[in-house]
Amino acid sequence: MKIGFIGLGIMGRPMALNLLQGGHQLTVWARRAESMQPLLDAGAQGAASATEAARGVDLVISMVADAPDVAQVMRAVATAATPGLVAVDMSTIAPAAARQIGQALASAGVDFVDAPVSGGEVGAIAGSLSIMAGGSDAAFARALPAFECMGKNIVHVGASGAGQVTKAANQIVTGMGVLAVAEAMAFASKNGVDRSKVREALLGGFAYSKILENHGQRMLDRNFKPGFKSWMHEKDMNIVMQTAHELGLCLPGAAATAQMFNAMVGSGLGEEDSIALLKLLETLSGQADK
Amino acid sequence: MSTAEAQQCGSPVGRQRVGFIGLGVMGRPMVQHLLAAGHDLHLWARRPQTLAGLSATVHDTPAALGAACPVVFTMITSSADVEQVALGAQGLKHGMAPGSVLVDCSTIAPAAARRIAGQLAQGGIHLLDAPVSGGVQGAIDATLAIMAGGEADVLERVRPLLACFGQRIVHIGPNGAGQVAKACNQMIMVAAIEAVAEAMRLAAASGVDCGKVRQALAGGSAASRVLEIMGQRMVDRDFSAGIEARLHHKDFGLVLEAARQSGVAVPLTAIVAQQLNALMAQGWGKDDTASLLRVLESG
Repeated sequence: MKIGFIGLGIMGRPMALNLLQGGHQLTVWARRAESMQPLLDAGAQGAASATEAARGVDLVISMVADAPDVAQVMRAVATAATPGLVAVDMSTIAPAAARQIGQALASAGVDFVDAPVSGGEVGAIAGSLSIMAGGSDAAFARALPAFECMGKNIVHVGASGAGQVTKAANQIVTGMGVLAVAEAMAFASKNGVDRSKVREALLGGFAYSKILENHGQRMLDRNFKPGFKSWMHEKDMNIVMQTAHELGLCLPGAAATAQMFNAMVGSGLGEEDSIALLKLLETLSGQADK
Repeated sequence: MSTAEAQQCGSPVGRQRVGFIGLGVMGRPMVQHLLAAGHDLHLWARRPQTLAGLSATVHDTPAALGAACPVVFTMITSSADVEQVALGAQGLKHGMAPGSVLVDCSTIAPAAARRIAGQLAQGGIHLLDAPVSGGVQGAIDATLAIMAGGEADVLERVRPLLACFGQRIVHIGPNGAGQVAKACNQMIMVAAIEAVAEAMRLAAASGVDCGKVRQALAGGSAASRVLEIMGQRMVDRDFSAGIEARLHHKDFGLVLEAARQSGVAVPLTAIVAQQLNALMAQGWGKDDTASLLRVLESG
């Protein structure tokens, strides 16, 4: 399949490489020319603009930072649209923004799928991302072969926006999950109990989770390198809280968690992994540099 | 009104031509005070029926009103509406003369106030963000607290007009600072309403008379205006609006966004915001914020 790929950052680059390895014909574009080089070396064609990356392809995929970037890229895509083009955005943006972009593309004859991912850089490199998609059956079917090169757990959740709703739900669970594990760690050590033993014991019971296992281990190692940067989780929690405000939805746990992420960014921990929540808790609880 | 205030309201500058846009539950009594002080009022309204009974000159567009008045007040609900009235195709910006003053008494985002100030400055027009606190009763009694952001000398020029409906008028800082102060006001007030609601809920659930609890507390360290007024509403189960809860819900969206932009944790505010979300979901947005008690009872 001929695929245009826009946005070659930490996530986009390995995702695009996996599409090449899957035998697809790839045209790439990125705002910074130097980020295109690894893909050109691997056999992709370079485009001079987002519009050009979308010209003559069956599928165009974007992986960029935020809703305004997605809207801008997709406006450029619309000007190159040939009938039957399917556009896929794999960035994390607000469900309402995704629906608006889908409507704008529909009026240009482009079928849109919102398909955000979970699994981080590791999952992107391994081609094992979770992909949660919203859009029509036909558009999803068109995109599926590409998704299969990038991800393992691929779910067509529902209509346009449903993918982003799912991703927001994912961020509620992971955001609160990381905070819960960090609180349990702080609780154990303030009580004078060995946190690593606590983690080990909990892994065998109902508190087991991937976050307890992976993030918990990194907390024990005090390895705060991202991973997933706190400021990005803060951005995602803001999507959750704004949506809750608009819908009239009571989310007290997510609200408290979002405030902790605010404090992370405000206290200069934004570039660290979201497990640096542990450092914030330790400071608040007078457990300086445990 | 004291004699000193009466003099401050009107007499030093005499009769002035004053524009006013936004004749809702707050704006209307504010206009009536300006009229009572003898000023020459010029109005524009999105809904013409709101003009009924006010003796004033009516204009077809905000721009036309702006061209006629050296000072214009706005009292409108949302950031987007204020931006439209001030900067839109037929907005005030296109009529107001260099050196004239827009006094925005609405509650909007600090960032929006700064943006509007920047746009108006291009035409030499001054903005004062001057949100108010005190509710409908404060507007009727001319006892509003006014928190102003903008240049100090601009505030001094319009202070006699503000004194027609306001009592405590404080210059907080540059543009946006008035809105920051208002955000702080809303955080404290609505959190206090939630605290009173929770206390009333606990008292009732424990089989204790809420009215007696309120009465006792009003004499001690927990005494507050919110306990007095909102507490009484809760005891009486009178949820008809003073200030509609949907406006506090709107304000909390602004507060949380401002906190986020500053990287500041506001955990209590965030939780209260969730209770307001629940209030909206249950259809009490047009009732009084004392309805936070009903949210607790429904959960």
